[in-house]
Amino acid sequence: MAKYVVTSQKVTVNGTDVSDACARAELVLNAAEVETTDFGSAGWTEVVGGLKSGQLTLDFHSDFGAGGVSELLQDLVGTIGTFVVIANGTAASATTPEYTTTALINSFTPVAGAVGDLATFSVTFPTTGEVSYGTA
Amino acid sequence: MTDIQAIRERMAVNLGTISGLRTAENVPDIVNPPVAVVSLEQIAFDGAFNQGLTTLEFTIFVVVSRADERTAQRKLNQYVAPTGAFSIKSAVESDRRLNNLVADLRVRSVTNIGSLQLDDQEYMAAEFAAAVYV
Repeated sequence: MAKYVVTSQKVTVNGTDVSDACARAELVLNAAEVETTDFGSAGWTEVVGGLKSGQLTLDFHSDFGAGGVSELLQDLVGTIGTFVVIANGTAASATTPEYTTTALINSFTPVAGAVGDLATFSVTFPTTGEVSYGTA
Repeated sequence: MTDIQAIRERMAVNLGTISGLRTAENVPDIVNPPVAVVSLEQIAFDGAFNQGLTTLEFTIFVVVSRADERTAQRKLNQYVAPTGAFSIKSAVESDRRLNNLVADLRVRSVTNIGSLQLDDQEYMAAEFAAAVYV
């Protein structure tokens, strides 16, 4: 086990590798806080874990070329996509786990950026169903 | 593979579309003005995962003779203009993909417009900053 610098995470959308157009990936897993505070809580709140949810945020470099990420995503708005993110590597292993989830592609920003900037866009998708992970 | 030498040569080709301007894709030992010299300043790696984006920062030095100061200044004014037949920015950006070698490029700015002393000779010069995305 070792600390690492992010350089080579792999990101796929419906099986298409979009890693080389992606500059940042963030997968957040949450569990709802369900209140269980009662008269026996001695003046403290108590909670237990409820339903789990997830959120996937990706920062991309715009690319409308054939097979480019912009061309790919613009046709997927409103659909459920399958996303695979491998932390710090291109193949799953014990130290580079692979997270797989489906998510609702509920937004896409085809045009963004100020004059002189590299064209980029950011998306955040809510996961739907289980977020699984594998190490092989 | 990113072929930096080919990128420099292609930038020189674009600069060579300016009538009367000599070009050098590498830094020469001897300056023979008017000349535009392509110099690589720095490279920023890992702009995207799996080295999906690399940014190369070039400086293009443009040097003109100062034998006649007024002529030199007028010539330099044409080179630093944002548009026109002698515009360095227009020439370099005439093919922003450098014959499909790169994703894009942009001439960001021009600085240090003025006198330059090289080997006891006075010249007029300007430095253009260009970002190339690979």
